Amino acid sequence: MSQVKGKAVLLRCPQGSSLQDEGRMLGTQFGIPSSGAMDQLSYRWANHLLQNKNNALALEMAQPGLKIQFEQACKISLAGARVVVKLNQETLTNPAIISIAAADILEVGGFQSGSRLYLCIQGGFQVDQFLGSGSDFESVTFPSKRSTNDCLSYFSFPQSFPIGAKPKWGTTWFESAEIKAYPGADWSLLSAEQQHQIQTSTFHLSKFSNRMGIQLEELIPNQLEDLPTNPVFPGTVQLTPGGRVIVLMRDAGVTGGYPRILHLSEEGQSQLAQKKVGEPIRFQLMESIAAG
Amino acid sequence: MKPSYQALSPILGELVWNQSPSDELLGYQLAYLTHIQNQYSSDLVEVRQGFTRLSLVWKHLPNQQEFARILKDTLLDPIKLPDTVWEVPVCYDPVFGHDLAPLAESKNLSLAEVVQLHTAPSYRIHFFGFLPGFFYLNGLSSKLFAPRKDTPSLAVPPGSVAIGGSQTGVYPMQSPGGWHIIGRSPLTFFDPKKPMPVWAKPGDQIQFVPISVSQFDNWKEQLPKSVQK
Repeated sequence: MSQVKGKAVLLRCPQGSSLQDEGRMLGTQFGIPSSGAMDQLSYRWANHLLQNKNNALALEMAQPGLKIQFEQACKISLAGARVVVKLNQETLTNPAIISIAAADILEVGGFQSGSRLYLCIQGGFQVDQFLGSGSDFESVTFPSKRSTNDCLSYFSFPQSFPIGAKPKWGTTWFESAEIKAYPGADWSLLSAEQQHQIQTSTFHLSKFSNRMGIQLEELIPNQLEDLPTNPVFPGTVQLTPGGRVIVLMRDAGVTGGYPRILHLSEEGQSQLAQKKVGEPIRFQLMESIAAG
Repeated sequence: MKPSYQALSPILGELVWNQSPSDELLGYQLAYLTHIQNQYSSDLVEVRQGFTRLSLVWKHLPNQQEFARILKDTLLDPIKLPDTVWEVPVCYDPVFGHDLAPLAESKNLSLAEVVQLHTAPSYRIHFFGFLPGFFYLNGLSSKLFAPRKDTPSLAVPPGSVAIGGSQTGVYPMQSPGGWHIIGRSPLTFFDPKKPMPVWAKPGDQIQFVPISVSQFDNWKEQLPKSVQK
């Protein structure tokens, strides 16, 4: 298939936007956070709609307001937060897959539901990969985030595939407050009282929430000491000496010394990534995995 | 030092040792790490190392279950740790080591005694974590253990050498940090422009070597010298 180089200009880029893929797994041995899309389920769905390769780079947004102009024709897909999307000032009824003509301008309005939106493009956005990933991260990639007037590169496919059935844009899967979690590596160090509290409390997302982690408002009284520093992952839930409950997300450091009390399911991690500050969640404890 | 295995999710699990961090334990960890990378790389997404755990992310649950079954009958000998010692120059002048004087005072030590205690041992690198290129070291003298600061500094400069709890380390890049800053190294500890962004590896040792302010100012090399011991 012949490829023409394409360029898109971010006429207006909301704060906190970055290019993300499945993550930089080759970098964690050097202490580099894995990064990658916060809501991997929506990211993978949007890539799947375009028949992209697994690790194709997408634009992740955590705020409304994107205005982007594509200089060459392409196909794009959107998934994640429910938003109002306008193409050349006309509202689209089903913006899951969009055929873009040269010079088209796409705008994203307010987030009606959800916190993160993924814009994928056929073939993925093109950057120099570092350790197998194009995900933006401070001090590791340059630039480390996307800003107004930046350009994004892509390949324009003149003979692209036809768009068949209109895929449905679902958001109900992340609207439930119940988040599935497995007992963490240090769950057994907690008292029965603490375990009960974690399973029955309703927690709320605090304003200390970003791509590194999501801190919850409610405290769990805790006397546990720090432990030897050991691996943590996106989805690891830590309990600090002050009783703070912190869910680590994609840009978290690769190791930590706080007790690791829970580990969110893959779906739970994506679900949490779509929650807004102040929203309630409850942990639904899954049975430990029996291995061997 | 045979590890047990704990599955944490359908695709995440870890090898568990209950001993304290030591050279001996690291030798076993690296033996298992090498074995796993040689035997299971096509089933694995990622391996992460800590002081007493080796965590594995599998592609699928059956990969993890099969590994856990086989591990029960796997007993490996520890590897011999490398002989490489990296000499890392550090200027311990208070112009860089803002917390050196208060730390010395709290320990009833002179500045020179703190520097002597910090430069006497060679430290073993166990793994990288916290920040890109930040190595976790074992071997700090218990005379220098110091609880983390109540109020973290907002911007610790790159190259800062610090003590936090029972740990010592070097900040590879500017970062907020709660450790006591006792000096600064002129070397580069993380370079994302290189395919291999760090120069040391787990099992290597770090020897801190004191230098003066003028040596620091005139230091040209970005990388340390390595010696074999």
